[in-house]
Amino acid sequence: MNCPMQHRNSETLMAYAAGELDRETGAAIERHLSACPACRSKVAGQVALWNALDIWEAPPVSPDFDRRLYRRIREQVRLSWWERLARPFRPMPLRQALPLGATACLLVIASFLIQQTDGLAPVQPRSEVVRADQVERTLDDLELLRQFGPANQAETSRADTM
Amino acid sequence: MESRVKTEMGVAAAALDYDAELMLRVKDGDGVSFGLLLEKHRVSVIHFLYRLVQEAAVAEELAQEVFLRVYRSRNSYEPTAKFTTWLFRIATHLGLNWLRDGKRDRGLERLDDTSPDLPVRQICDRRVSVEQRLVYDVKLEEVRQAVAALPEKQRAAVLMHKYEEMEYAQIAKVLGCSESAVKSLLFRAYETLRARLAHMGRT
Repeated sequence: MNCPMQHRNSETLMAYAAGELDRETGAAIERHLSACPACRSKVAGQVALWNALDIWEAPPVSPDFDRRLYRRIREQVRLSWWERLARPFRPMPLRQALPLGATACLLVIASFLIQQTDGLAPVQPRSEVVRADQVERTLDDLELLRQFGPANQAETSRADTM
Repeated sequence: MESRVKTEMGVAAAALDYDAELMLRVKDGDGVSFGLLLEKHRVSVIHFLYRLVQEAAVAEELAQEVFLRVYRSRNSYEPTAKFTTWLFRIATHLGLNWLRDGKRDRGLERLDDTSPDLPVRQICDRRVSVEQRLVYDVKLEEVRQAVAALPEKQRAAVLMHKYEEMEYAQIAKVLGCSESAVKSLLFRAYETLRARLAHMGRT
């Protein structure tokens, strides 16, 4: 069965089945349908399809959808340079500020200590700087003691003989 | 000068639609307006994406990305089109990209997954019999498969037309084609669906 209007008006028939037409156009289509089995069959098929598609319901949205979204917004939205700059100076609750302040203090102290240890020269073993004249004087003193100390001389000679 | 242009844009947006006006307020830093837009369009975007990708968890993830992009783009937003056109253009783009990337195969929970560790889906009405539930499940599966088998543009067009009740002109703007192309897409899509689901109308 062919209808001369069918191809020309297939969109109109589709819109009629979907209930999208205004009253006047809808009435005109109904008049045509009453006399045209081909279009009637087409509309019936479209209505049946519409009803079949209606059984596909989407599941309910998760109750925490908004919460997750706002968390992602907070985490991911790039801050402007001004916001980045101003962020540390925003007022912060004491509960958050205290641990942050303590951590910052610890970091400052730690970096200060590291700098201090880095600034010091490595500890070198102290080498005795002995000047030549000191050595000579000491040797002279020992010689004098040997010469003017008889007891020492006797002991020394005894030790030599032993 | 700038404020005059801004005001004119605001007036144009208000004439265009209330959503665009809300979005201009978001652009001015009004978070409450973003909340209103989210409240108004959350469900339709999620449901559209759900029918497109056919996985509830993925649809919600993609919808989050849609609203995240809307928020990120707030500073560059210009009310040149209806807000929902822009919103669904983002949603369609993300949904189709997800399908093209083949992520469907390694997606989360699938509706047709029959593994025993998944909770059994039930129709809410407890009065329906087991037989009715089975019939419903079979019909639902047929509808889902018939829609999923459509070419992607036809599928997106059908979902926007049937479930979101959008007009041809708006669907055309979302899909970036002419209005007559949308009519042709829908005509072919419904022809295919009628052929595949014809037996359901007779039951």
